[in-house]
Amino acid sequence: MAKKRVIKTNYFGELEIDEEYIFKFKDGMLGFEDLHDYILISEESTAPFKWLISVDEPEIGFPLLSPWHIDVYYDPGINYDLEKQVLFVVITLEDENGEMSANMKAPVIFNIEKQTGEQIILPSDKYTTNCVIAKKQKTIKE
Amino acid sequence: MLVLSRKIGEVITIGNSIQITVLSYDRGVVRLGIEAPKSVPVHRKEIYEKIIQINRQAAKTQLMALKDAIANSNIKFSHLIDEDINSIAIKKLNNKE
Repeated sequence: MAKKRVIKTNYFGELEIDEEYIFKFKDGMLGFEDLHDYILISEESTAPFKWLISVDEPEIGFPLLSPWHIDVYYDPGINYDLEKQVLFVVITLEDENGEMSANMKAPVIFNIEKQTGEQIILPSDKYTTNCVIAKKQKTIKE
Repeated sequence: MLVLSRKIGEVITIGNSIQITVLSYDRGVVRLGIEAPKSVPVHRKEIYEKIIQINRQAAKTQLMALKDAIANSNIKFSHLIDEDINSIAIKKLNNKE
């Protein structure tokens, strides 16, 4: 019954997706305003991180993490419904020093009921766009 | 670009629901008071541009690079968060198999 779409991803192979699992981003992600359809992938080897993959351009994938993994007191200061909404932050890797940072200022909010998503900029100045969450350890055990 | 001159305390209106008041001017810094509906996001442009730049960088993250970064980092994940809430979407996605 449900329509299916096949996408070719870089890391997760060819995926057949039911249309109902696609999250519609009306305004896209910031800087990617033309891409509206995304799927959320849970990959064991990078758990608890998730991947937000564009259905239209599957080479585009954002690593996401629950902000409460980073800060148990994270308070986005906006009204949202825990029953219907799931919130993640975008993770970036710094090429030079192996640092990992999280954009706590602009979380991505998914509405599970409506299958929609949006990236919002929090009004509060409490959170930064590049909160360092991990540094590469200097000594790596063999 | 429309250019308007305003004195301190004077207001500019945009549409029916947005008002910008000039609050003060001091040594090259203008303070503005902005009233807009909640549905209209108001941000400093630098923040907006910074997020676009971060998203562009994040969007090309490689799976192996993240895997390595997790393995080589000192990151510790809090187990206090409610995993069930954050995995609703994932479970749903995985069920299709």
